[in-house]
Amino acid sequence: MSTVLVVGLGEVGVRAARQLIDTPGIDRVIVAARRLEHAREVAGALTDGAEPCRLGRDDPFPAGVDAIVSAVPGNADPELARRAVAAGISYASCGDRDATLRALLALDADARSHGTRVVVGCGLAPGLSDVLAQHAVGAIDAVDELHVARWGVAGPESASEARRAQREPAREWRDGALVHDKHRHAQLIWFPDPVGARECELVDTGVELLVAAHPGAGRITSRLGVPIVRRFTPPGRRDPGDAWGAVRVEVWGWRGTARASVVYGVIERTAVAAGTVLGVTGAVLAGALPTVAAPVTPGAAGLRAAVDPVALLAELARRGVKAAAFEGVAVA
Amino acid sequence: MKAFQRGMLVAAIAVLVSVVVRVRGKGRVPPTSGGWRELQGPDFR
Repeated sequence: MSTVLVVGLGEVGVRAARQLIDTPGIDRVIVAARRLEHAREVAGALTDGAEPCRLGRDDPFPAGVDAIVSAVPGNADPELARRAVAAGISYASCGDRDATLRALLALDADARSHGTRVVVGCGLAPGLSDVLAQHAVGAIDAVDELHVARWGVAGPESASEARRAQREPAREWRDGALVHDKHRHAQLIWFPDPVGARECELVDTGVELLVAAHPGAGRITSRLGVPIVRRFTPPGRRDPGDAWGAVRVEVWGWRGTARASVVYGVIERTAVAAGTVLGVTGAVLAGALPTVAAPVTPGAAGLRAAVDPVALLAELARRGVKAAAFEGVAVA
Repeated sequence: MKAFQRGMLVAAIAVLVSVVVRVRGKGRVPPTSGGWRELQGPDFR
């Protein structure tokens, strides 16, 4: 009997719970919030089988939980993960703040000693972008450059995290070192329609995870674009791309003696895509999706190390989150 | 006359280098237009 506890019932957490309920092999989904009323509201909205639960800072986890799926704000994530590891429960987080990712990865030794797994960056980017990058790298013999870009936010908390990431100093991986570019500027990135071309700023988010996965790459960058919030938009002038989320992964390298590039992208509502990735990761940790799971040992790692890329892409496609490849034509 | 000859020599060398680069070069022009295709098949490529 597999039981998953979902903590953090915002836009992403609720969708992760929905995905878990729809996963054969998951028998119980418990939705937890600091206020029991909120948990009850969410469980009621999910209609078929989620159990509400109050989970304060010092409350023990419900009995029989196999995995915890977390969509709590970044500063609350490490403490919750520490408690999960101490209780011997595997943990998946969609937090994307760099300090949070580092704090979660620092639990590696504890997770190993307790025989549990901590999977970090289980959202759109970091998360699905890392899996797409791994998949793209597999199509190239030697990788030179890896560029990841994300457009869109999942909700108010996600928007505030994204703006924070854009304000903070951004680093990129260049020739074996993380360097800070003082003259960073926004770059136009082409995502699948209806998002299309968007200005994305260089950010630190997820760069270290990509470097750990592809240390041989000469250059790795991460970019992020945030839709502008307007209080009033005249009728007919609404930008349809603002409501969507997208991720684009571009890999450059060599195939034999020829220069080659692979570009993958995904478009979906940001909260839906992130929630689906988080929910599927939770199901993997609970043992409900053995075909998607990579044969990994206990410890803390990024999503790329916890799943088989092709199997995850197939599972996500089955749930409606479909990846696409850019088939370009060279125009001189 | 001498300057003209030098100019011709430089132009000839430039043409020769460009021909060699054009013939032997493996680099391709980056894709600048195209479309998105859903990943399919057993390999999801």
